[in-house]
Parts: sequence; C-alpha cells; structure tokens
Amino acid sequence: MSKRPRILGALTLLLFVAGQTMASAQTISYADAMTVLARGCGPDVKKFCKGLNLGNNEIRNCLEGNQAEVSPQCTATLASVTASIERRLAAQASVFKVCAGNVKQHCKGVVGEVHILQCLIKTERIDSEKCNQAITDAGWR
Amino acid sequence: MFSRFLVTLVLASGLSAGMAAAQEITDRQLVGSLDQLAAEAPAVDVGLLVDEVNANVGKGVGQLPNWSLLAQLPQFAVDIEFENNSVAIVPESYRTLGVIADALHNPMLRHYKFLIVGHTNATGKPDHNLDLSLKRANAIMVALATTFSVPSSHLAAIGVGQELPLNATNPKDAANRRVQLINLGVAK
Repeated sequence: MSKRPRILGALTLLLFVAGQTMASAQTISYADAMTVLARGCGPDVKKFCKGLNLGNNEIRNCLEGNQAEVSPQCTATLASVTASIERRLAAQASVFKVCAGNVKQHCKGVVGEVHILQCLIKTERIDSEKCNQAITDAGWR
Repeated sequence: MFSRFLVTLVLASGLSAGMAAAQEITDRQLVGSLDQLAAEAPAVDVGLLVDEVNANVGKGVGQLPNWSLLAQLPQFAVDIEFENNSVAIVPESYRTLGVIADALHNPMLRHYKFLIVGHTNATGKPDHNLDLSLKRANAIMVALATTFSVPSSHLAAIGVGQELPLNATNPKDAANRRVQLINLGVAK
C-alpha cells in the first residue's frame, strides 16, 4: 500500500545524496526533504531531542549540539536537507524578480503569478538560464 | 511502516467526502482543495472563534454562529502525530508538514491566509484537550513560519479540543484527532 512512496523516498534520498556531489545540486520538495530528514535523523531525534519541535530550529540546534553522539549519517542528512530547503525557499521568493525580463519579453499582458508562471514554463526554450533554474529550484515545473 | 496518514477531505460545501483511508497526502491534493474559495465566502473573525470555544468547553461548538461559518470555507484535514501529551511532532509526521509547506508556497495558494485548527478526541478532560490542541496547532504554525518561512501574517492557529468531532456519534474515535487547514481568504 505504502510501498511506492517508500521506494520513491529511497530513490529520492539516493538521487539527493548523489546530487550533492555534482556541481549544481537540485532542490527537492519540502515533503521529500522531510522524509529524508525523518529517515536519516529519526532515531537520533527520538534519542536526543525528546519534546523538541521542528520549528524555531529546535531540532536542528539539538542535533548540531549533540553532534558528537549523533550518527554521521544524520549530520550529513541534516546539512543537505537544510541546504535544499534554503535553496528552494530562496528560489520561490525570487522567481518573479529573476524572470522579470523574460516576462516583459515573452509574457506581455499576462496577469497573475499563476498565469505568468504557466507562460514562463511554455517559453522555457527562450528564457534565460537563471530564470529557468529559479523555476526548477522553486519546484514549480 | 508508518501508515496512519488518515486523510479526510472536506469539501467546501461542508459535505464530508469519503475517507481516503491510510493514504499519503500530496501537495496537489491540498492545493486543489484549498484553492476553491468562493466569491461569497464569509469573513471569519478568529478572535470570535476563540471566544465561542472558551465559553463552550465540554458543550461542543458545531452549532455556534462563528464556528458554523467555517464549513463554507475551503479546507483540508490532515493527521499529524505528536509525542504523548507534548507539542513535539514525531519524525514520522515531518513529511506531512513538508507537504503543507509545499502547498502553502505554491503560487495558487501563497497569497492566502490559513487557519490551523487543532482537534483532539474526547479522551481526557475537555479543558486539557482544548489547551493541548491549541499548543499543538501553535507548534505547527511555528514550524511552518520558521523552518519553512511561510509569512506569519499568512497564518493563524487555534485549538478546539474535542468540541468539533468528525465522528460525533463516537467522540473517542481516533479520527477526531486531526488538524484542519482552512483558507481564510487573501492575506492582508
């Protein structure tokens, strides 16, 4: 029943870890980031961070504070998950700024973020590399 | 593995669509449900909801004027597990929080304000349940606002304890423990 998401999750983890060694790391969805984090750090969270929450960096601070005892796998996972989330957040916050020139050129008169985004996805071939990368990093393709 | 992702889809009409039992939710489902804001959707005053529930602990809020308005708004209920009697979300539920973050950052939803409503079942004392559900709803809100940088002006959290059960004939039903996300309209 939940086999597929599991396999997908494992694949995502593999791809993600592999991606880290490449020049341009890809971002993953916040959902997948959380699956990777729970899988890589779940046991350490339960051991060292009882009663603490994800919010306010409580889990992150706890895992980093206990680094000597936390599994190396978790430390690595935490770093890559944090990086992916930060990169995706930055991309989502900047897509329409980064793509403003392309919108002016190729999506004249298109109104509203949702429609502009649809236009930018259609005009991918002629949009700037930066704009395309931001849309990809934002997870909006 | 962890398979208690009990998901209930509540349509904007207030009709309870069948249970998609033990199925993982996706941000697409969330976006698709939460985006359906009708033009004539009522404005909800969160402060009045709090007043109503505080004045009706142990008596239910389903029939009260402000709480009844919520049925007209787009909403989605998810299951998020916490440590016993604690506001700490268990790692098995991190993904659900990530799914919510994906949905709230989606261009379809990211201009809306959302209300997070925490519910318990009727095990234990009603006032304790109300208190715990509020703290847990707050914990979810804080995680969304900090870990996932959802603007705090786009979020509100309240608890309703055991006062608005999904299954009213069996108030102790575990299905009554849930977190509702409700679209309150364009954020100001």
